[in-house]
Amino acid sequence: MIRIEWYKQFHRPKTYLTLGIVAGFSAVLTIALVATGSGQTEFVGDLPLRLVPRSSGLTVPVIALSSTMKFFLPLVVALFAGESVAGEASWGSLRYLLARPMSRSRILWSKAAVAAGLSGIALVLVALVALTAGGLAFGWHPLSVTDSSASTALHTDVSVTGVGAVLGRLGIAVLYIGAGMASIFAVAFFLSTTTRRPLVAVAGGVAVTIISRVFNADYLPGVMAVNRYMPNNDIDLWQHQFTTTADLSGVPHFLLLQAVYFVVFMGLAQWWFTRKDVLD
Amino acid sequence: MIRIELIKQLRRTGYWTVLGVLAAISVAITTIIGLTSAATPERLGDYGSVVPNSSGFTMAAIALNSSLLFLIPLAVAIFAGESVSGEASWGSLRYLLAGPVARHRVLASKVLVAGLFSVAAVAIVAIFGLVAGLAAFGWHPLSVIDLQHASPFATGLASFSPFQALGRIALATLMVTGTMVSTFSFAVLCSTLTDRPFNAVAGGVLLAFVSRALDNIPGFHALGPWLPVTNSGTGLWSQVLFQPTNLAGYPHLAIVQAAYAVAFLGSAWVCFNRRDVLS
Repeated sequence: MIRIEWYKQFHRPKTYLTLGIVAGFSAVLTIALVATGSGQTEFVGDLPLRLVPRSSGLTVPVIALSSTMKFFLPLVVALFAGESVAGEASWGSLRYLLARPMSRSRILWSKAAVAAGLSGIALVLVALVALTAGGLAFGWHPLSVTDSSASTALHTDVSVTGVGAVLGRLGIAVLYIGAGMASIFAVAFFLSTTTRRPLVAVAGGVAVTIISRVFNADYLPGVMAVNRYMPNNDIDLWQHQFTTTADLSGVPHFLLLQAVYFVVFMGLAQWWFTRKDVLD
Repeated sequence: MIRIELIKQLRRTGYWTVLGVLAAISVAITTIIGLTSAATPERLGDYGSVVPNSSGFTMAAIALNSSLLFLIPLAVAIFAGESVSGEASWGSLRYLLAGPVARHRVLASKVLVAGLFSVAAVAIVAIFGLVAGLAAFGWHPLSVIDLQHASPFATGLASFSPFQALGRIALATLMVTGTMVSTFSFAVLCSTLTDRPFNAVAGGVLLAFVSRALDNIPGFHALGPWLPVTNSGTGLWSQVLFQPTNLAGYPHLAIVQAAYAVAFLGSAWVCFNRRDVLS
């Protein structure tokens, strides 16, 4: 069943288009960095980390992941998850799919697995293309990062990491961001089972990201009380890996939060989809 | 024609959901701030700073400030992008055009109604922020600190009487609406080009995305003032809450937005008049 779904998705030009745009983003980012002054310091994230692209190609995946994790990647994830069931319904083929001698929940979970797989591919593509393009442009040198939050006028807090260690930490970063997309994925997937219009599901997933951004204490200190419970706010914690202090204390809470969102909304999706009258 | 279109769109639950979410977020922000940290200063735009519990008017500005970057543009893109392609996706566009009404009038009424909803989206954020804020923090004069002009010698403090504050908030809402014009027009253009509302909405959102990205590339500095969506353009509204009020950048912004509106809506008009409508 999962194989059939894979097969179906990989025969859609839209899948390739989306993945192509994702890969293209990293490539264009590298070209833009080369073209417009790779010697300039880039400020990444809210710490912020200070990076000089020319010093090492390994800066590029850090920049690429940081600039996509809050809007672009959630959009892509919402697209795959939101299209999965509602897309089938909008073609009018959902009822025929369900006529197969297979339980509804198996069909649902194979759709979820394929959408999750495609989302994972998109995330890995961002990092891999950036790593390759960055390395070709600037070489694979040890990564040196200045942590602005720990630096003062008299002291600059620089951490230098070897190539192997950076690759390992980038791997962890990808896993962490992937886990952080679980909430958005689950919301978009749940909405996808409730509507025959993919736009509603995708917009819902994107809206979750945006609402999370609105209730972010970094930009609106007054909402500190709810900041920790918003699905996409602590997605940037992986950046701390590249600082000397490496404050990763928020990670377990964030992963637990993602698990809760995931279980609740996937549970709702399962509950809803196995009971609803499918008319499309 | 406009009335029919308006009635049709007013009956859509999806549109009410979007407006409802915007209202709910304004109220939720006020509630959370009111309950947990009413005395923490909040930023407005790039340089403004207000203390929420000093006046209910602060909440209207805070609500606008936190929604205008992504939330309001998404709502505007949904209303504009759904306008024509929504009808096409239902398969009823051809029947609509079969009526004895000129195509450009059909388009105009759709654009007008989508525009009304978009204006309502911005207004709802401000109004619900205002009402919730007044309920929580009261009808007091509004003071805003302009951090750009604050120094040890000058506080950069602006104070407005309640009625002045009301006027300034209304003006700020208007200015935020003004910066949405390019997003709106582009989403309308996309909407006339495609049968799938999703593509049109995504187009409207992507315009802001691409424009901001170009704005942030150091080498393209000269392009900055002419882009449809930029950080400096989006932040300009907070100037009306400062004293002295420096609106020098506004005429330029208004002209750029108007130019994009003419270009995009004009193209939409041309495309829609010539297109073979198959759905």
